[in-house]
Amino acid sequence: MKIKKKFITITSIFLVNLFAFNLYGVEPDEILKDQKQEERARIISKNIRCMICQNQSIDESSAPLAKDLRLLIREKIKEGKNNKEIYNFLTERYGDFILLKPPFKLITFLLWLLPFVFLFIGIFLIFSHNKKSKKV
Amino acid sequence: MKKNLLIIPSIIFTFVLLTFFYLLVIERNPSELPSNLLNKDIPIFEAENLIKNKKFISTNEFGNEIILVNFFATWCKPCRDEHSYIKQFNNNGIRVIGINYKDDPKKTIQWLEKLGNPYSDIPIDKHGRIAIDWGVYGIPETFLVNSKGIIKFRHVGPMSKKVFKKINLLIKEIK
Repeated sequence: MKIKKKFITITSIFLVNLFAFNLYGVEPDEILKDQKQEERARIISKNIRCMICQNQSIDESSAPLAKDLRLLIREKIKEGKNNKEIYNFLTERYGDFILLKPPFKLITFLLWLLPFVFLFIGIFLIFSHNKKSKKV
Repeated sequence: MKKNLLIIPSIIFTFVLLTFFYLLVIERNPSELPSNLLNKDIPIFEAENLIKNKKFISTNEFGNEIILVNFFATWCKPCRDEHSYIKQFNNNGIRVIGINYKDDPKKTIQWLEKLGNPYSDIPIDKHGRIAIDWGVYGIPETFLVNSKGIIKFRHVGPMSKKVFKKINLLIKEIK
């Protein structure tokens, strides 16, 4: 019986923490009344880097600047701006670095293509090595 | 042929190694990001002026002389540390505009009375929106704006002797 109680307690703590983590960052007073607008804001926020923490999105971050940017995104949505306009507004000020997923551009094409180039070099080397080994 | 093929990964590996070594050796702050506003016009903004009774309108103030823009706050300890450098710019005849970031106006006035006021104007950025327009992500931040209203330099964090010298050199260059 004791074990069962312990199990329930631990599972409850785990579940509470799991869901608390998902909501981390966004505060109740920020949430928009319009559910669709709020969903859009969350999606955009998940793609925007917190410039202070850098490896977190502003959706997850509790940094003051992240909160300011979340509020700004919600304001822009309410003003009727589309996603592209909001992303442009932010990249004009903070550069592409603010986007967690770097765009495919002339200056970033190496970043996107190099892994594939290395993959093909690797495959080519393995095949050519195997061919030669078979011949021997 | 086989030997040649094995050379390729070695070259790539050496290149990567040398790149990392170079980045390690050169003096740089990896967390400092280049400003996206460099060589661009300053953002247009209007705000209440802490030390003057009229509104601060950026279009009326920039574009005539070299101006140093300093984002500061009294709650920010590094701002206090760099204050002596900011005062030196003012003493050298450079106009300094201090943007008061999310601060208490009363505290700011007291702070300036105690430490000295090097700012010609102090626009109040109550909600941090002016800072966002300037791409600011850490207080203090300092921008050097030329006489055409174009941003020529940005420094994130408190000013050091080295940065102070660098800005002075830049001022001489763009004068």
